[in-house]
Amino acid sequence: MLVSEMVSDASSEEIRQLASDARDRTRFEEDALELSDQVYRVARRLAGSREAAEDLVQETYVRAFRNWSSFEPGTNLRAWLLRILTNLNIDKGRKTQRTPGMQPLEEGDYFLYGKLEDQTESDEEKLVERLSQDSIVEALAAVPHNFRDVVVLVDISEFSYADTAQILDIPIGTVMSRLHRGRRILKQELANRTVIA
Amino acid sequence: MTAHSECSKCEELLQPYVDRSLTEAERLTVQTHLAACSRCTRCYKLEEVLWKHVRNCCDEQAGIEFASGDLKDRLADLRTPLI
Repeated sequence: MLVSEMVSDASSEEIRQLASDARDRTRFEEDALELSDQVYRVARRLAGSREAAEDLVQETYVRAFRNWSSFEPGTNLRAWLLRILTNLNIDKGRKTQRTPGMQPLEEGDYFLYGKLEDQTESDEEKLVERLSQDSIVEALAAVPHNFRDVVVLVDISEFSYADTAQILDIPIGTVMSRLHRGRRILKQELANRTVIA
Repeated sequence: MTAHSECSKCEELLQPYVDRSLTEAERLTVQTHLAACSRCTRCYKLEEVLWKHVRNCCDEQAGIEFASGDLKDRLADLRTPLI
């Protein structure tokens, strides 16, 4: 069939629409792929291993490309992608993690510092550096996901409260309260892993 | 206020102080107490450096801060083919 006949079949309006959609989708996919390093970095901090982080990123892009048309052009694409990522990560957590309801939280912000305190070390940086990388990674993994996500986004990935609220689709007030609680839980987990020398 | 309850209040205000989200009055309360209490001062300093250390450790653990070439190839393969 000649192209001219195809054109006569579909209205020129429809064809224009199809062409415009294809252009938008190509643009969307290119923009999304540009952000893959940033998406990966957040995934790496949320997921326990490199492989798990890569799987999470891949699933995020599968879902993003499938639902590209629900992205509103001109809004924050990074936040949109990270929202998919955090939702997928929560789903995974539900399947694999035996999430304890909520551990009782009795200790305040000073508890960890009381355990770390050593009068012979006056330099605060050296004192906190006694917390090993392994203990920090383990402690972070032990924080329930809804608190951990906020700590990872705000304190580790250095997103603003507003960006974090948008990514997780929760009010800013909730970001702040979960951050407060999440930091305490993390510090308590660190304190539990601190062996007094 | 007793010294102990002042310390408790100070502990309660630790995070918002470090985040610089206290009201002016609360900030003054904290600063006045910190000037007089070495234990609270020490804890505040530790809080300031703790998060930097946590961030550094997470960055190190993340290793290379970029998605691998292999992952990027896999993502590019997910793209809708152009006919």
